[in-house]
Amino acid sequence: MPFALEAVSTSVPVVENVQLATRTYRVRIECPQIARQVVPGQFLMLKLAGNDDPLLGRAFALYDTVDDASGQPAMVDIVYLVMGKMTARLARYQPGQMLDVWGPLGNGFEVPECDRLIMVAGGIGQTPMLALGKEYLGGRSYGQPARSVHQPQHVSLLYGVRSADLVAGEADFRAAGIDLKLASDDGSVGHHGFVTELLAHTLEETTGQRRQVVCCGPEVMMERVAEVCHSAGVPCQVSLETPMACGIGICFSCVAKIRQPDGSWDYRRTCVEGPVFDAQAIEW
Amino acid sequence: MDLSVSLGRLRLPNPVMVASGTFGYAREMQGLVDLGRLGGILPKTITKQPRPGNAPWRTIETPAGMLNSIGLDNDGIDSFLEKLMPYLASLGVPIVVSVAGRSADEFVELAQQLDGVTGVAAVELNISCPNVSGGVDFGTDPAMCEDLVRRCREATEVPILAKLTPNVTRIADMARAASAGGADALSMINTCLGMAVDWRNRRPMLGNVMGGLSGPAIKPIALRCVYQARQVTDTPIIGIGGIANINDVMEFLVAGATAVQLGTVNFYHPRASMEVLDALPGALEELSAGSVTEVVGTLNTEKK
Repeated sequence: MPFALEAVSTSVPVVENVQLATRTYRVRIECPQIARQVVPGQFLMLKLAGNDDPLLGRAFALYDTVDDASGQPAMVDIVYLVMGKMTARLARYQPGQMLDVWGPLGNGFEVPECDRLIMVAGGIGQTPMLALGKEYLGGRSYGQPARSVHQPQHVSLLYGVRSADLVAGEADFRAAGIDLKLASDDGSVGHHGFVTELLAHTLEETTGQRRQVVCCGPEVMMERVAEVCHSAGVPCQVSLETPMACGIGICFSCVAKIRQPDGSWDYRRTCVEGPVFDAQAIEW
Repeated sequence: MDLSVSLGRLRLPNPVMVASGTFGYAREMQGLVDLGRLGGILPKTITKQPRPGNAPWRTIETPAGMLNSIGLDNDGIDSFLEKLMPYLASLGVPIVVSVAGRSADEFVELAQQLDGVTGVAAVELNISCPNVSGGVDFGTDPAMCEDLVRRCREATEVPILAKLTPNVTRIADMARAASAGGADALSMINTCLGMAVDWRNRRPMLGNVMGGLSGPAIKPIALRCVYQARQVTDTPIIGIGGIANINDVMEFLVAGATAVQLGTVNFYHPRASMEVLDALPGALEELSAGSVTEVVGTLNTEKK
């Protein structure tokens, strides 16, 4: 179990903070200790430094790491949706302002060898997918020492949004070589309908290939993705977005019902045993 | 500077501990905190039988604090002794094991099982968790409290701490009762019962409807409880409730606490205990004190 053994807790400056889409921003922070270690699917806790309102940190997935002039990972990008008090204030942060950060936290994705990596995202659940896609396409390495991965022949992202104005990071995904397919609830971009319909279609088209699905988004959507994968016999990992208070395993808030080897379920901490779980282990 | 303190039969190298339920089982924090520097560690409360805990949501942030209804999620004492205690014992830090029983017999059995275990410096009786049924009566009925503490003391050699709830009419009565029962120290306070409501959906925010309020919001209540207990008993007091920095620590010491436990702050500032330890000698010097004990209970309430 990853008990944040390599995690650091520090205050770091904002390097840039730019809007990507409606209510959606990317903040870049300078934190080499975290940037060097973090792997796709892991997360950080962020808090506005010197400000106890809000009191608790908030969990954010790694979007990507960025190198300094010497080519070493030195900065971390986080993409966030303005939801409440913390993110509303963060959206107004300027370069040089400080954030408290602790991480990297959680287990991250570890994808078994496959022909096709199919990433499925709903809304802001897209954030862990850029780094993962880059890593499995051989475009960027993560971790210290750098993780070696089995590169699939094809990496796609099926990305569902409510409407076109909420699509964030489209250029990043395309530049990384990820095959991006969009779906929207209102039909304003891509497939008019649910991203799970895109998934079912993709799985039909790729029958016979070794496929792996990873998924992050609203719980109801992840449950449906898990069902689609299960009936198609395709393995699926999900990254849970359970609300957390500490992110490091000490508060026991962020529990999810996880199936145990004996068939029963137990509440397990998403922050230290996840956030990535085999979809079949989750009692939805 | 002498940072050591005595809480009845329990001696600590310094007064800065971390509160039960806010520090996991310590191993979660080993990358972030130099555990060996702590005055004491209180692992998450242990019960006789495993408990899955309450349904989510288990915590919700509130102004300057948070509500929790974790529900004593733990794997039971047998698992604790086998899987978690060896690591805790290896830290070389006083380990104060928090226990909760559903009956006096269960509390006594838990204390007996911990008595003499390597690394166990004391047992804290959690007679104040607001999130489980049973057990809490020991924290609100003085006669039951006194009897329980006495039974645990008579049945064991291990120092016994009583963790009191603020959810009573007169905290002084409870402090007096736990002292009469022979508690080595009084840990106060546990969380204040509270709740949060989502009015649009007409739903409680917590899965268990009500929960315990903690964090800076409850510090004034905790200070008042420590002060009131100090008036009626000489039993050492461990101050708990919203302590987040060195100023908070000093306030509790002056109000009458001999030691403190940092709780909720561990969630939002994981290194707070280390920063408090760094600052403690300087703060004592500011009061021209050569030891922690010199400042304990020195609050001057005379009219000016």
